[in-house]
Amino acid sequence: MPPPDHPRSTASLFGHPLHPLLVPFPIVCFVGALLTDIAYWRTAFIMWANFSAWLITAGLVMGGLAALLGLIDYAANRAVRRLRAAPWHMGINIVVMLLELINILVHSRDGWTSVVPEGLALSAVSVALLLVSGWLGQHLVYRQGVGVAR
Amino acid sequence: MRRLILAPALLLAACGEGDGADQIGPNPTIPTPRQPLFPSLNVAKVVGWQEGEAPKAPPGFRVQALARGLSHPRFVYVLPNGDVLAVESRAPEPGEPVDRPKEPIRDYFQGLSSGANAAPGKEPSNRIILIRDANGDGVAEGRTVFLDGLNSPFGVVLVGGVLYVANTDGVVRYPYVTGQTRITAAPTPVAPLPGGPYNHHWTKSLTASPDGSRLYATVGSNSNVGENGMEAEHGRAAVWEIDRASGAARLFAGGLRNPNSPRFYPGGNQLWVVTNERDEIGPNASPDYLTSVRPGGFYGWPYSYWGRHVDVRVQPQRPDLVARAIMPDYALGSHVAALGLDFYTGTSFPPPYRGGAFIGEHGSWNRSAVSGYKVAFVPFANGRPSGPAQDFLTGFLAGSGRTHGRPVGIAVDRTGALLVADDVGNTVWRVSWGG
Repeated sequence: MPPPDHPRSTASLFGHPLHPLLVPFPIVCFVGALLTDIAYWRTAFIMWANFSAWLITAGLVMGGLAALLGLIDYAANRAVRRLRAAPWHMGINIVVMLLELINILVHSRDGWTSVVPEGLALSAVSVALLLVSGWLGQHLVYRQGVGVAR
Repeated sequence: MRRLILAPALLLAACGEGDGADQIGPNPTIPTPRQPLFPSLNVAKVVGWQEGEAPKAPPGFRVQALARGLSHPRFVYVLPNGDVLAVESRAPEPGEPVDRPKEPIRDYFQGLSSGANAAPGKEPSNRIILIRDANGDGVAEGRTVFLDGLNSPFGVVLVGGVLYVANTDGVVRYPYVTGQTRITAAPTPVAPLPGGPYNHHWTKSLTASPDGSRLYATVGSNSNVGENGMEAEHGRAAVWEIDRASGAARLFAGGLRNPNSPRFYPGGNQLWVVTNERDEIGPNASPDYLTSVRPGGFYGWPYSYWGRHVDVRVQPQRPDLVARAIMPDYALGSHVAALGLDFYTGTSFPPPYRGGAFIGEHGSWNRSAVSGYKVAFVPFANGRPSGPAQDFLTGFLAGSGRTHGRPVGIAVDRTGALLVADDVGNTVWRVSWGG
């Protein structure tokens, strides 16, 4: 097999990069939390606020794992580090994780103020940032071929 | 969003909580609610009492341990022949369903100071111990297991020859003969009370009307401020009235977040109760209180506190209920966790104490400078609170974030001495005058 022309993914298993395997979890959890926050804001039905708290918690755990693997890919390979989109992708996602960390503290309040207004705002800003960082992540894989075999 | 950015600053400001003196009495200061990102959390670590250690009472009083080595005694009751009942109790098993990731974390920290983390089944509990001190010298001659196999009991009251026990899921009765040291009869159900699976404030306390015809049972709320949904709050945060003959029960008063130790003022027909108010809106909100209870009265929870201070955490709001929320009679300070109440009906204490209220304050968790952890005294005149509260029994705190014990239930014994159940200290204390 010829060596890959693309920047290699270091955190990989049998040639499959692990970072892209995990990133859907935090994305779906944080987008889901925005939707359940909106549902709670509109209905005051406490179940939705509880869903948000669990989704944000799960997103933080899985996002933490994804971040670790992404950081390994970034730090361990000079070709990855040289890509202009890479530090932006990482930086914006770190901001998202910090915002969601504040968000779970807000969501740990009791009742209405666990969501309205700060929780809902944090969820919305985080998802907006995810659109940008996700786009950059896709750019790294589909345009610049990070972790692509050949 | 500005509040968010300010939150760390508010957190630091929480160190300046003041001593809460303006929080006690009929007109407490109610500060603007605030919700920092990290709620203040400070529970004193339980170190227990060594031989020779005891809480401190004012000069002239003597403090003795009537019984040591009990298992989490939460309530005391004095039978007519002078025998003392200590109710050993632990939280219902299994605990309530986990609705949010926050809950196991909160329960862990609160458990550090409640003794609730003790391995279940390790030592016998959920039973009543009879302590006999026949000559009234404060030294018990013996103790027996009076009643066993109860379901997280708290309140006890004797009416005629019938002993009523408030389990966490309802009131039951047993026949009792004066001098009996063990009851083996099966319980007869009297009236069910709201129990699990959600059973957040699970202590059900009990008293009887002066004529003995009715029982009054307290039922605490199923949440801090309704965050388990108002469906979980049916019949809760209330005082129930139970007809003793028929068992028929009705809501007597509501909006009392976690009411405990209902007591009729001696010589009258006025019911009083101590109530624990809500958490997580700041170190000085909202004060726990002592209040007379009006039939049909509504005291605000969860929609408002201290009268008509609206709690924005509850949606949908209920302005109609807030409009009729009664302002309680006497604030005891925020987060003190007032659980015990008894009026002084003895004659052996000096006159200023007679007719006044002794209050067991279990102590705070939601405050960086702890409050409570003592027995307070509120003087009464003409059946109403008549002056500032005084510290009566202190010295539970051991310094450096530790505590020897935490007072709960209060009773006056046959000789006029004050009995205090100390749950994590595993002791019943007896405070007598002179000695």
